[in-house]
Amino acid sequence: MEAIKRKKIKEKIIENFFLICAFVAVVSVLAITFFVFYNGLKPFVSNSYPFWNFISGVEWRPGSNMYGIFYMIVGSIFGTLGAILLGVPIAILTAVYIAEMADSRIGKIIRFAVELLAGIPSVLYGVFGLGIIVPYVLKISPMAQGESLLATILVLAIMILPTVVSISETSISAVPKEYREGSYALGASKIQTIFKVVLPAARSGVMTGVILGIGRAIGETMAVMLVCGNPIAGIPTSLFDQIRPLTTNIALEMGYASGVHQELLYSTGVVLFVFIMIINLAVNKLVKTKVGS
Amino acid sequence: MTQKIKDTIVKGVVYLATGITLCVLLFIIGFIFIKGIGLINWNFISRDYNDTTFYAFVQESNSPTTLDEKVQENKSDYDKKYETPLEAPVYVESIGAEITKVLYKNYTTEKEQFIISYISKGSPLLSAVNSNGTSIDVSTDFVLESVNGNEFTGMSTEEVKTLINDQSGELKIKMVEPGGGIRSNIITTLYMILLSLVVALPIGIFGAIYLTEYAKPGKIVNAIRFAAECLAGIPSIIFGLFGMAFFVVALNFQISLLSGSLTVAIILLPVIIRSTEEALKTVPIAFREGSLALGATKLQTIFKIILPCAVPGIATAVLLSIGRVIGESAALLLTAGTVAQIPGTLFSPGSTLTVQAYYVTKEEGNIEMACAIGIVIIVIVIILNILSRIASDKLNVFNKE
Repeated sequence: MEAIKRKKIKEKIIENFFLICAFVAVVSVLAITFFVFYNGLKPFVSNSYPFWNFISGVEWRPGSNMYGIFYMIVGSIFGTLGAILLGVPIAILTAVYIAEMADSRIGKIIRFAVELLAGIPSVLYGVFGLGIIVPYVLKISPMAQGESLLATILVLAIMILPTVVSISETSISAVPKEYREGSYALGASKIQTIFKVVLPAARSGVMTGVILGIGRAIGETMAVMLVCGNPIAGIPTSLFDQIRPLTTNIALEMGYASGVHQELLYSTGVVLFVFIMIINLAVNKLVKTKVGS
Repeated sequence: MTQKIKDTIVKGVVYLATGITLCVLLFIIGFIFIKGIGLINWNFISRDYNDTTFYAFVQESNSPTTLDEKVQENKSDYDKKYETPLEAPVYVESIGAEITKVLYKNYTTEKEQFIISYISKGSPLLSAVNSNGTSIDVSTDFVLESVNGNEFTGMSTEEVKTLINDQSGELKIKMVEPGGGIRSNIITTLYMILLSLVVALPIGIFGAIYLTEYAKPGKIVNAIRFAAECLAGIPSIIFGLFGMAFFVVALNFQISLLSGSLTVAIILLPVIIRSTEEALKTVPIAFREGSLALGATKLQTIFKIILPCAVPGIATAVLLSIGRVIGESAALLLTAGTVAQIPGTLFSPGSTLTVQAYYVTKEEGNIEMACAIGIVIIVIVIILNILSRIASDKLNVFNKE
């Protein structure tokens, strides 16, 4: 009796230990949120820098106490939007090809290529951008430098390809065979079936891929830092203007910043965090609706 | 008829898009290989990024070795690499080596220096030791700076030769092993992988066990799942900010190997939890029932039946994690620093391969070196990809049986 009891207690203890391990993820999210928000909201709570100037300013000059990030928000959004407009159609069509049109061997090769593309570290995309895309943009640009919104968009468009391709492909493959058969039986061609029946059926999965792609584009740091130019002021008005996304602002100056300057870099992180949270919630909602239907 | 034309056009567009995806990949890999391949050699892998200066103690042997004429004609390894020596190479008998005066250029400095351009077979340099008595691998392209305290600055090659030959007994030569390699970055990367896995792997695996084996659907499980998803969606720069605020500042770990690996460990958690969970789910429920029916406790079932079956899945998790650590840069930039050195302790900084690639590109404009590092990384990524494929095939084979 005693031995069984002891065994049960031991099992219970270990179960709780497992629960604690699983809870590390929750604790991490809470800790990350707390630390970033705590440091980031400090300057506004203690009134060492007015929030409105921070969120609406278009100049970032730590030397003269000017910290405005509005032009960075615009830069981040433009860069992401451009990358989505350019990258998503290519990615979805590639996914369509892999899932619906390629025979299995070619499909395997392309899938491997996409996985490889996903495995290349972001720094290398930046190096590629700086070595190839930036000089090319410089050639057609009216400005004196190739680092620009356009270069950023091109690099980001490449970087979101693997994310969108693999998730779209999975959800396209998951569309039941009966949908296709029904469509063929009604006399539709293969292409019509793919674009009028299969893709709409896989819509929520494809949307999840696109939103994750947005998340990746807006959060990308190292690749963008090498090709965006990082100006200290100015809302981008043309494709050839330099931009300074939120992420690179943090990475560039965190190494040596101190005091209010450092806290406002955390505030930049808070703004980025809010964007990411919205994206996460959207993904969560999409995944839920898929399960629900 | 028009439908057919329409279909063909759409088909063409689909092919085009797929072609673009493939071309982009080939283009990137091609660019990195073409730009970087020139730097790839053993020295690149085995040397540190920074120059290392040391004293070599050489037993002078006054038996002049003869220089193989043919070697000189064929040009030594050194001459092939650096084309224009400032003066003709001169053979110094007492150290059995040929020295050449060259112009050294790097991204920041430019100076004249003497380098060893050829070492003959019987050279006493080959049995040189450092101040601790450990032997040194002296090789061509090492820089000579002084002998027994006499600096070579401003001398001609002949003068240096006379100076060296005039010394007697043991020579104390100040040498510089040129840098430009990535040894320290490779070792830092290995440390980073090891440390972050040691932290994240048990937590992730046990967490996944809880989620699949114990948890009943409800608020707690939803919270954990949501948290894991959130972690997967947070960009690495935010992890970097957190690591900086928590590990570096609040816990006072400094910018160090420890701060970096703990930050990366959090990044790895969702990866490990997800792949382990998937592996555990593939283990048939009959296995669990069979084990429980034989009187095994739940714990015994988990550790003796379920986990062994899920090993290939866990292996996939490890491989994915290694890939993730190697690719991580933004978070490490803020938490582990950009110093190219082998961290001596947990609390000293060190840059991994990707951070180094960023550093040389951004600070020095040295795209060639970044690409050479890129080649090393891509080769590792391809190997990891193939290995994880093998692992997941194993998992599938097991399930079919």
